[in-house]
Amino acid sequence: MTVVAPASAALSVDVILGDWRNTNAEGSLARIVCTANDAGTIDVRVFGRFDNGDQDWGSVPAAIYAFTFDDPAAGAFSARFERGAARIDLQANVKAGVLVVVELVAFHDDSGRSNFFDREFFRRVSQ
Amino acid sequence: MTGSTLLAQRWERPDLLPPRPRIAIETLAGSWKKTNDKPQWIESLIVETTGETEGDEIFVTIFGSSPPSPRLWGRARAETIYSGGIATGDARAGAFATHYRFDDFEVEVQANLNLGLLVVATFVRFREAGRMNDRFTREFFYRDAEGDAS
Repeated sequence: MTVVAPASAALSVDVILGDWRNTNAEGSLARIVCTANDAGTIDVRVFGRFDNGDQDWGSVPAAIYAFTFDDPAAGAFSARFERGAARIDLQANVKAGVLVVVELVAFHDDSGRSNFFDREFFRRVSQ
Repeated sequence: MTGSTLLAQRWERPDLLPPRPRIAIETLAGSWKKTNDKPQWIESLIVETTGETEGDEIFVTIFGSSPPSPRLWGRARAETIYSGGIATGDARAGAFATHYRFDDFEVEVQANLNLGLLVVATFVRFREAGRMNDRFTREFFYRDAEGDAS
């Protein structure tokens, strides 16, 4: 399911940690849960909004990033999920208390679906 | 559209039969300059596109703004191109992604169009731990009418 190797550690991750809910009740992703891991980075768990409720996509390690080269705190992350014929790259950063998530969705099958870009916003409900 | 079928409707889409729609990549082409007067990570970009008969590819050339951003990043081919929606080839809200590799760090670049601006996000990862941390940037660029690269 996943595949992105974590980036270097040593950044604090408090800004990113928590249970984030989509601000749009009709958004594609319902929840994103960010937890600290033993590698000093974070694990990202996604719940897609799907038939009969939210669908757990599982958890993947994410690479974390600061906003400046000398900032000791991480404010952004990237993570990759594989869902059937879809590869979903999530690129997220916290801005003014909101988790801004870019979704880059690419299909590796022979369907007529176009690779597409989307962006959604999440608010933190617990840390 | 009801909440219970949202993701199925948006991503599974058995009604979308092949072939995939052609993504109108020429929409992304041009010479793009930073909107910020102050130094930043990227100074400007040139986005070039090939024609449909040549495989519809995007090539980007990036010029750095302030160190440690290299003055000239070089020319890279977009590895993945995205439209603005699963059922369309319209790229007015589309994007592309590519990578650059330098001696000390590598950079994942993602650029998307938003209301006529090119919004460029980079994810900078150092090969070895040092005095600088891995970094995320998001910067904005306007199309320079005199430098159209389409």
